[in-house]
Amino acid sequence: MTGTLNLVGFGLAAIGPGIATGLIFAAYINGVARQPEARSVLQPIAFLGFALAEALALFGLVLAFVL
Amino acid sequence: MRVQLLSEAQGEGFVPPSSGDFELPPIFGENALTTKPIFLLFLSVILISAFFILASRKAAVVPSKLQFAGESVYGFVRNGLARDVIGHEFLRFVPYLFTLFTFILVNNVFGIVPLLQFPTMSRISFPYILALSVYLVFHYVGIRKQGAFKYFKEIMFMPGVPKAAYILITPLEILTFFVVRPLTLALRLFANMFAGHLLLLVFILGGEHLLQGVIGLKLISPFAFGIGIVLTFFEFMVQCLQAYIFTLLAALYIAGALADEH
Amino acid sequence: MPKSEENAMWSIFGYLLSGLLFWGGFGYGLDKWLDKNYFTLIGLLVGISGAIYLVWLRFGRE
Repeated sequence: MTGTLNLVGFGLAAIGPGIATGLIFAAYINGVARQPEARSVLQPIAFLGFALAEALALFGLVLAFVL
Repeated sequence: MRVQLLSEAQGEGFVPPSSGDFELPPIFGENALTTKPIFLLFLSVILISAFFILASRKAAVVPSKLQFAGESVYGFVRNGLARDVIGHEFLRFVPYLFTLFTFILVNNVFGIVPLLQFPTMSRISFPYILALSVYLVFHYVGIRKQGAFKYFKEIMFMPGVPKAAYILITPLEILTFFVVRPLTLALRLFANMFAGHLLLLVFILGGEHLLQGVIGLKLISPFAFGIGIVLTFFEFMVQCLQAYIFTLLAALYIAGALADEH
Repeated sequence: MPKSEENAMWSIFGYLLSGLLFWGGFGYGLDKWLDKNYFTLIGLLVGISGAIYLVWLRFGRE
């Protein structure tokens, strides 16, 4: 069996952002469900948090190919 | 870094399913245009046409069961996707979105229909062409609506940004709009179908391989088949979801091109 | 209701990916040309910060 270890590393690196995205949107949905009028306040924060978490996952993806 | 692992049983080892399992041989002779996905494509067109012609032929005020089924699919795409997303000009795009949705849905569901069991969209060229059609449609609509110059200017230079930041941002906007969007649209559908079919192959072929082993392994193989059956239902969910998401994103891109500011 | 979120999430994904690809690719090209090895990393960092800035412009300031 042949393959590259980089992909195993990427798989491990994707666990963290996966959990992070889940937590962010869990908190966002919770907040909007409790207080629907807070949606416009929460939405930018949720998207920025999502962007930061997703950036790490994509960074891992790109480095898996570059290195 | 490349690694090599030797499997322990070299002789009668389990051959794991790979991307080679998706390259099916031609059915008639050497002609590469007669492979299974092509036939599934034509079959899907025949099935969809037959279903909706039958459903709409004897349209009545009190609908028959068939008419109700056809109308509920149509209503789902028309009201749930086109009207909610695109807004007041939605009626022009309903035929396109409806064709896209039913075509992708039927082709995906072929992946779990017994005897057919191959999702057409797990061959990359089909999603590429579908994404290309979406790409052409939404840029055409945008240019037609706003004029070529204004349309491209709005994509490239968003207002309210310091001038120096355009060097950093404009390439990203161009790349996102003209390369990454259609590419991810195609790859998302392809990757979901490919990975789903591979997953089913792993469990079904693995169960079959366990069945040929010693008695202890034979006892485990029902679990592998059981997980395979559970995953088949899971795959059905994924296939419907992917057809929905593809159509939803197509509608969102059209809506974005129609809107004056994104 | 979930449709605008779906759109925003995939847009964010697209921006981040194209940021990494464009500026990372630019740095990679510089590396090949000048025979160095640190421009790729700089390019990736510039790309990701540009993409996050763009996400902030599009979705963050409301």
